[in-house]
Amino acid sequence: MAKRKRQKLNKKLILPLVALAGLLAALVFTLYLDSVVRERFEGKRWELPARVYARPLELYPGLKLTPAQMISELSMLGYREMPEPREPGTFRLRGQVLELVSRPFVFGDGPQPSVSLGIRFANGQVQELVERAKNSALGLVRLEPILIGGIYPGKNEDRVLVKFEEVPQHLIDALIAVEDRRFYSHHGIDPKGIARALFATASGSVQGGSTLTQQLAKNFFLTPKRTIRRKLTEMLMALLIELHYSKEEILEAYINEVYLGQDGNRAIHGFGLASSYFFDKPLTYLGLADTALLAGMLKGPSFYNPRSQPQRALERRNLVLAIMAREGFISAQQFALNKSAPLGVIDRPPRGTSPHPAFLGLVHRQLQRDYRDADLRSEGLQIFTTLDPQVQLAAERALTAQLAQLEQSYKQPPDSLQAAILVTSTQNAEVQAVVGARDPRSKGFNRALDARRPIGSLVKPVVYLTALQQPHSYTLATMVDDTPLVYAQSGTTDWTPENYDHQFHGQVMLRDGLIHSYNVSTARLGLEVGVAKVLANLRRLGVERKVPEFASSLLGANEFSPLEVTQVYQTLAGGGFRTPLRAIREVLTAEGISLQRYPLNIEQVVDPAPLFLLTKTMQDVVREGTARRLGNYLPADLEIAGKTGTSDGFRDSWFAGFTGDRLGVVWIGRDDNESSGLTGASGAMTIWGRMMASLDLTPLLVPEGGNIERVWIDQASGLRSAADCPGAIALPFIAGSAPEQAVPCARDSDKKSHKTWFERIFGR
Amino acid sequence: MKRIERWLACAMILVLAGCASLQPVATEPPPPPRNEAVIALLDVSRSQSSAGKLDMAGASLERALRIEPQNPELWQELARVRLQQRQYREAENFAAKANILAGTDMHLRAENWRIIGQARTSLGDYQGAQAAFEHAEGE
Repeated sequence: MAKRKRQKLNKKLILPLVALAGLLAALVFTLYLDSVVRERFEGKRWELPARVYARPLELYPGLKLTPAQMISELSMLGYREMPEPREPGTFRLRGQVLELVSRPFVFGDGPQPSVSLGIRFANGQVQELVERAKNSALGLVRLEPILIGGIYPGKNEDRVLVKFEEVPQHLIDALIAVEDRRFYSHHGIDPKGIARALFATASGSVQGGSTLTQQLAKNFFLTPKRTIRRKLTEMLMALLIELHYSKEEILEAYINEVYLGQDGNRAIHGFGLASSYFFDKPLTYLGLADTALLAGMLKGPSFYNPRSQPQRALERRNLVLAIMAREGFISAQQFALNKSAPLGVIDRPPRGTSPHPAFLGLVHRQLQRDYRDADLRSEGLQIFTTLDPQVQLAAERALTAQLAQLEQSYKQPPDSLQAAILVTSTQNAEVQAVVGARDPRSKGFNRALDARRPIGSLVKPVVYLTALQQPHSYTLATMVDDTPLVYAQSGTTDWTPENYDHQFHGQVMLRDGLIHSYNVSTARLGLEVGVAKVLANLRRLGVERKVPEFASSLLGANEFSPLEVTQVYQTLAGGGFRTPLRAIREVLTAEGISLQRYPLNIEQVVDPAPLFLLTKTMQDVVREGTARRLGNYLPADLEIAGKTGTSDGFRDSWFAGFTGDRLGVVWIGRDDNESSGLTGASGAMTIWGRMMASLDLTPLLVPEGGNIERVWIDQASGLRSAADCPGAIALPFIAGSAPEQAVPCARDSDKKSHKTWFERIFGR
Repeated sequence: MKRIERWLACAMILVLAGCASLQPVATEPPPPPRNEAVIALLDVSRSQSSAGKLDMAGASLERALRIEPQNPELWQELARVRLQQRQYREAENFAAKANILAGTDMHLRAENWRIIGQARTSLGDYQGAQAAFEHAEGE
């Protein structure tokens, strides 16, 4: 009896116990789900990549800018041409007048509202700026900057996270119209939707019935299993998500999470990446038709893939547009206009998420000095850089076109040559363009920063500067010996430098050694002033690491990266003031508060007078020396200063040169270090010329300062001559350093015998 | 400040008078061109300066320098901002840069030397400061 009773009692107890255990299990499971949801959500939300912007375009009357250049700038900003520009991000061009509505933007110096602008062009310049609303003239307008990339969380390099504010309203409208009409009213699950889905399933067609929140929950699991249990878990998760987060936060997470396609073994998650993958544009810049296409693809990313199934994708897009019109999100007119728009998908997906990875590489490197990598990848910092998109495109185009042509002309295997380019502004050392590979979009080896190669004759200006800094010993007219040289050093084989033309040129004026890039006279001069002194000067000009000292350092045996070369030439182009190359102007927080400015700083490291002599001679290199064929690309009145460089066996072809406003350094070579078949002049200089020819340039006028005088010099002897004598030129000297001894004015016949006399004495 | 404003006004008048059409002499850089945007940014920079927002004043001058990189007056103004920021070495360097670009403009050069003198004084280089002030007198 007692036994029975106990059994009965047990039976009575079991049910509640089981129920309690079940409840507990459910509670634990819910808590577990809750932690999963929050973890996934918080992780996603706070991992905002740093966003990197190009320089903003400053418009002002007098700016050299053509309507075509302006349109190219606007298309990079994702502006759309409209019959009547009213919305921010639209424009219209009529002849020489461009009307646009800029987007509001927060700069480091404060927010800048949207402005409706009229720009009148004339003669390749901005003639007038008018604020259309007030019909008043403006002196200066700054457009919002182009977004050029991001610094992404390392583990999923390929996710382009977007903030809710950046999401075009059309996309949100499309998602709600097509996927979840009651999104703003339900609490994560939508009974009406489920009923509809059940009914539809029963009647044969398949419908989702999942809310956006449920779809998001589903995406948090890796396996897309379709079981009742999974479905219930998903609904529970959806409720939990709605409990914790606002509708905006849920939409933001959804937009960053959903699966939209496959690129080989890389999954395209999130609309940010999809936008870059299909349109090569940031999501913010997508128009109505584009966003409708992407939203439509959610139903079946491979079935509606616009690249492989363009017709199907187009129909799906137009269906989305039709639903949007039916639901009142867009007008009938918008529907009509957009349903006839082309797909607009680019043929081949871009390699990476930034069009300019080499420049981004430089930015990242400079940021790493001041920021933890984790912060760069997650704090949503806004990085304002110095990239000038016009210059960058000019560099990329010149490089791509010219390399193919050079390979053909010089019988090099196709795709064998590699190249790197840096362009900076001469006065403030801002880096305007960086190309690190022949395919400017490839993310691999950044030769502009990391390829260290012998610089050949690019070092010569430093040798000559070192000499000219001793005006009592060396002037441009000092005679230097260009006859065979044997330099013996214990422990190594003798060094016997040769000239490029395998000739010796006898006694030459110092300036000729640089103009014609004579190796032998340069080596002799360098040995006289001292290798250590030359290399010390190189460091003063901007090389930061210690490099080994050889006699052959005088002819550029040391290896430097194009970036290091640019830093050295920057000091020459900047009038003897060393300025660290800058790729970043300012860093703002995600909220637009200035974290750090990178102000311009300069340090005078070279006296103006010897630098004046050097720069004048580098202008002569272009006028009459090894770089004279630059005249095929650019007019003489730009007075460009430059230097060619070729390393042993034609392995490296270099050119460095500057105008009044821009410095460019170009390198060409092969990754396997084989011969490129090119000299500095036949290779790198042609890219330089082609690139600079497509840019607006300011002539180089070298400020002379007070202590320079001009003296007529007989070129054969380097001595004073009367003005305008045959074979005489007027050369600049640091006051008091010109030769005192004079030669009589030589008539043409005398001149000739004079030269042979020299040749007799000093060899050929 | 006053001097610059005066200089600015003079330059404006000269530009209006057609001075800009003068051919540059080969050995001297041409007088700096005048640009409304630059003048506006100079104004902005000065009001930022007097509001104590020296970082921003510097940033505005850098914007102006991107438009007219060879304008010695902008470099001098930057020197002045650095002086206020107590970055004396920087001030000296900017004034030196302005000097090289100033050509034959005695007033501008004299002012540059005075800035250099002040910077050196603050750095404790009294001899150097003395030399700079003498330069300023000599201009």
